[in-house]
Amino acid sequence: MKHVDCGCTRRQMIRSLVSGSLLLPGIISQLLAQEARHAANPLAPRAPHFPGKAKRVIFLFMTGGVSHMDSFDPKPRLIADAGKPRNGRGAKYLAPLWEFKPGGKCGTEVSDLFPHIRECMDDICLIRSMRGDHNDHFQATLGIHTGSVSVARPSIGSWVSYGLGTENQNLPSFVVLAPDLPYAGSQVWSADFLPAVHQGTRVFPGDEPIPDLKRRSPSEKIQELELGLLDRFNRKHRQSRPTDAQLAARIKTFETAFGMQKEMPEVLDLSKETDATLKLYGLERGSTKGFAWQCLIARRMAERGVRFIELIDVGSHSNWDAHGDMKTHEPLARNVDQPIAGLLKDLKSRGMLDDTLVVWTTEFGRTPTMDGTAGRGHFNPAFSSWLAGGGVKGGIVHGKTDEYAASIVENPVHVHDFHATILHLLGFDHERLTFRHGGRDFRLTDVAGNVVKAVLA
Amino acid sequence: MHLCAPTLKRLAAVLAAALCASGFIAAARAAAAPSREGVEFFEKQIRPLLAERCYECHGADSKKRKGGLRLDSREGVLAGGHSGPALVPGKPDSSLLIKAVRYSDDDLQMPPKHKLPDEAIAALEQWVNMGAPDPREGGAAANYGIDIAEARQFWSLRPVEDPPPPTVRNKRWAHNGIDRFILAKLEARNMAPAPDATKRTLLRRATFDLTGLPPTPEEMDAFLNDHSPNPFEKVVDRLLASPHYGERWGRHWLDVVRYADTSGCNSDFPVATAFRYRNYVIDSFNRDKPYDRFLREQIAGDLLPSSSDEERFEQIIATGYLAISRRFGSRANEFHLTIEDTLDNLGKSVLGLSLACARCHDHKFDPVPMRDYYALYGIFNSTRYAFPGTEIYRHAKDFIPLTSSERAEEVLKYQSDLAALDNEIEKLKEQRRALERANAGSGGADESDGSREKLATITAALDAAQSKQKELADNPPDVEKAYAVADGKTEDAKLHLRGDPRKPGETVPRGFLQVLGSKSLPSDESGSGRRQLAEWLTGADNPLTARVMVNRIWQHHFGRGIVRSSTDFGTRGDAPTHPELLDYLASRFVESGWSIKAMHKLIMLSHAYQMSSAEYAKHALADPNNDSFWRFNRRRLDAEEIRDAMLAVSGALDRTMGGAHPFPPENTWRYTQHKPFVAVYETDKRSIYLMQQRIKKHPFLEMFDGADTNATTGNRPVSTTPLQALFMMNDPFAHQQADRFAARIAAEFGDEAKQIDYACRLAFGRPATREEIQTGRAYLAECRDALSETDVPTDAQPRAALASFCRVLLSSNEFVFLD
Repeated sequence: MKHVDCGCTRRQMIRSLVSGSLLLPGIISQLLAQEARHAANPLAPRAPHFPGKAKRVIFLFMTGGVSHMDSFDPKPRLIADAGKPRNGRGAKYLAPLWEFKPGGKCGTEVSDLFPHIRECMDDICLIRSMRGDHNDHFQATLGIHTGSVSVARPSIGSWVSYGLGTENQNLPSFVVLAPDLPYAGSQVWSADFLPAVHQGTRVFPGDEPIPDLKRRSPSEKIQELELGLLDRFNRKHRQSRPTDAQLAARIKTFETAFGMQKEMPEVLDLSKETDATLKLYGLERGSTKGFAWQCLIARRMAERGVRFIELIDVGSHSNWDAHGDMKTHEPLARNVDQPIAGLLKDLKSRGMLDDTLVVWTTEFGRTPTMDGTAGRGHFNPAFSSWLAGGGVKGGIVHGKTDEYAASIVENPVHVHDFHATILHLLGFDHERLTFRHGGRDFRLTDVAGNVVKAVLA
Repeated sequence: MHLCAPTLKRLAAVLAAALCASGFIAAARAAAAPSREGVEFFEKQIRPLLAERCYECHGADSKKRKGGLRLDSREGVLAGGHSGPALVPGKPDSSLLIKAVRYSDDDLQMPPKHKLPDEAIAALEQWVNMGAPDPREGGAAANYGIDIAEARQFWSLRPVEDPPPPTVRNKRWAHNGIDRFILAKLEARNMAPAPDATKRTLLRRATFDLTGLPPTPEEMDAFLNDHSPNPFEKVVDRLLASPHYGERWGRHWLDVVRYADTSGCNSDFPVATAFRYRNYVIDSFNRDKPYDRFLREQIAGDLLPSSSDEERFEQIIATGYLAISRRFGSRANEFHLTIEDTLDNLGKSVLGLSLACARCHDHKFDPVPMRDYYALYGIFNSTRYAFPGTEIYRHAKDFIPLTSSERAEEVLKYQSDLAALDNEIEKLKEQRRALERANAGSGGADESDGSREKLATITAALDAAQSKQKELADNPPDVEKAYAVADGKTEDAKLHLRGDPRKPGETVPRGFLQVLGSKSLPSDESGSGRRQLAEWLTGADNPLTARVMVNRIWQHHFGRGIVRSSTDFGTRGDAPTHPELLDYLASRFVESGWSIKAMHKLIMLSHAYQMSSAEYAKHALADPNNDSFWRFNRRRLDAEEIRDAMLAVSGALDRTMGGAHPFPPENTWRYTQHKPFVAVYETDKRSIYLMQQRIKKHPFLEMFDGADTNATTGNRPVSTTPLQALFMMNDPFAHQQADRFAARIAAEFGDEAKQIDYACRLAFGRPATREEIQTGRAYLAECRDALSETDVPTDAQPRAALASFCRVLLSSNEFVFLD
């Protein structure tokens, strides 16, 4: 998908069709006005480079750096060597706190931190060889979202929205469910240089899920009157400016906004979900707290055609950043484990897992050695992430770290490779999904990235 | 190949050193006169291999050249690339080329995608063993293949010419030289310019363009009733003299220099004094400071002479341009990124060149070799930027005191004492952590090895340092400071191979761009070189500075630059649609003493500026993008204009200049990446005075495409989103302005028809039509009916109905678009 800066392709086509002026000016105006209506919606669904198996993405991001050797990457050697200094003189090895057990028919080992996810391992492609470019939260969080660890760039969700548009015009194409701001703040879901319409929209529980969604006019009737009068003013104004696409586009946004006002509360209304469904996610009826709520909302958004749904579990403090004590992983895992498993099972039973890609990741792993007295430090040379659904081979493990989970010994997957693979599953050649900015074609994967073919179904 | 002499000499020296060090003068000679069998081996085994597998990235096609290396000539192979010579004849094990193809080094693996077959690697090893016989002639290796002389032929790098305006058929249409350039093109295409805009349209256009505000009904009436020969010229003069002019055009400059009130580090520390630079920019525009001087002050104001303290302080504040460069990380060890940000910004904002590409490799598209980049880098690396604090080193230092020099020394010392304690505290904490780690494995502190004692000593020292720091922090000297720069330790920079500062290459003397006729600084120059850089940027033989600025002025009047890519005048940018006009304007600009206000006047008095934005189907087909300026481009108001116009129309706009933001007191700052600084401060002042952060944009500005606070914004994108519509429908700010607007018109007129008319005059700059008055009255009645069924008190219902009507006006296309 090459971005055409002037936005005039279709215009030029009309122009070539009518060159020779067989068409009267009136018809030409009509054609141009029609073109203006097309330009009015940058979020119209679009086909990718080739048919992708995944039609949408649910991106689960765990803030702070989940320890891979305590969750998805078992290392018995760390138990055996606990307390010994690394390389004879470095910091001391710390034993993982949780027991590993095989899950599913595939028997992939997962720790007791994630007993529910463990049951779903047959649907999950676990990558134990992730690596990133930075060892600090802010930069690594930017990196896993934008491919850039220093300056802000468009988020992966914005790229997907830009590439595919969206199915439901009454909802944003890229939604973020994050109770608190993550590291690097809203840059994480920023469209940056991509058109702002591709920006992630943060949705909150409660009666105003997105800013200004709640009607402020004294009654619905009055708001309808206002929109009616507005339309009248705008159409009158447009009579003498019939070919301006911007004017048409802006008129349309008020219709969409009105639709959003109606549809968004409906997406968030869980009253029609069955007890069995709530139970699957571990959500108490009436509660809007925790990852269970986020996961169930994600499924409802996915059903209604939202293209990219990002769930961030916690904010930039009191998160997985367990410098002091690894035990702090436990409540964080409890918050997400059953809901994530519930989401996978729910999607599967509704036949949606086949074309919904579920991504689970964090910004980096943690050191095999101790930090403080019972915690672990940041570790970007190796960590674990996983993919499920949408064209991914389930029940496999890709990549391998050494016996201390300290370096990758097989099939390293850089963040750029991870991104290239996600885009591939959606039908994009990551080298061709570009946007011209400041004289250069930019892409999510910068100048790197290889699709990890081994994980494709 | 045109290289300045010192560069050639240096290159020769580097090459000679490389060859001598490897002890291979003899083999070099062998390479110079290859044997017959050597040539045969090369032609059979090596040339096809290089051609097939290497030339794509290391060949004459400079577009793809990687690592500065050419393998398509003997010289290229010997000179090598950024990592050094590609091979040492006779010594495969010491040759980078062989290392690379063997894939033995993680960082150097060539070809990058697939390792060569073993036979090919063996052939290359054998070839190097033979002394790398290479019969190829010609090819240039110096400057890694960028031909500077040829590059100077590119349109933007050629000297500015002063072309006479062409002759045109319709002489009466042309008010001034600009019009003749525009009209000549139109006539060549058999197109006629659009008819004139109405006086109302023109006044609304000019008022927003120069002040970012709507004209008042009184200003409109005065203009309509002025039947003197030059009413519009009087309008332009009046608007240029308005203090609101600087708030509008200063904002355009702040876009380009990515102004923010926070540092951009992981915790996004506030910079309480950054506003002085913002106000300096506004004042400079209002005073029509010559643009060349404006630039010199921002780059080297601290080094320029001054005749009073006031002038000295102003020039120091000007260097806030450099200080506001982005900050990174949680510590203070990623300063190279800040310098890269400075260079990126300087290139795009002043020269219209994307220098940043040359950070990692020779620029692929523009004639900026990597060494030029690091020549400039050295200048800023020799500059001391004020440090706003980070998570770990949280105290500011090197902010420049705006006071007598004696007192200034004291304040600088105060800051560095405070900051030094950060270092000490961090060191002690690290020691304590190390001790705790050591103890953790061995079951706690132990009497026998004295670690408990050590721990106590460290803790005591830490306590002492912390209380000393608190004491200092709580008693800051009462002196105003500027977020600014000063010269630091002077030092030439080394190349960062592949952009990585951990991989230093050769040292490059400080200097400027070769393609713009650079000179290096004198070798005994003890300053950073910023003063010379400022002179060079604004010098007579630099064609870019004036071109880029007149283009930007044009852009903000016509909705697009003569060069559309206003921050990219390189080969990847857009070509000018009217190159002669651009040079004509650049010439006038320099001739006027770089007066920005004179340029506005020249442009706005042109007939081209006064055309309507009419839609002709025929022209729209012939020239849909308006490349020929056959009409005026309609535009949506930008974020600041929308907010300011809402405040102006509602009567609530506070027109006083903004000062400092209400940040929390500095001694309470404990921002971390876990709990960064995040705030939004409300104000009824103009939007340029809103506090703008880097980690999180101001919500309103973000929603309406405000400037990026992290990178230069040359052209703001215009997005049209449902969230913007929701803002107009439901945001408290929109409702507040509509309520105030209603109160304002109700206070002025009791009669409904007059209220509706006045509302239209305020919002649209025109009276209401008869139909609108009818519609409006019907609407108010219907609205009051609907309100009677709500909980709005009966006596408040008429005002609420009027506010509802006003809300519709503020939401309408006519309000937010400018014809």
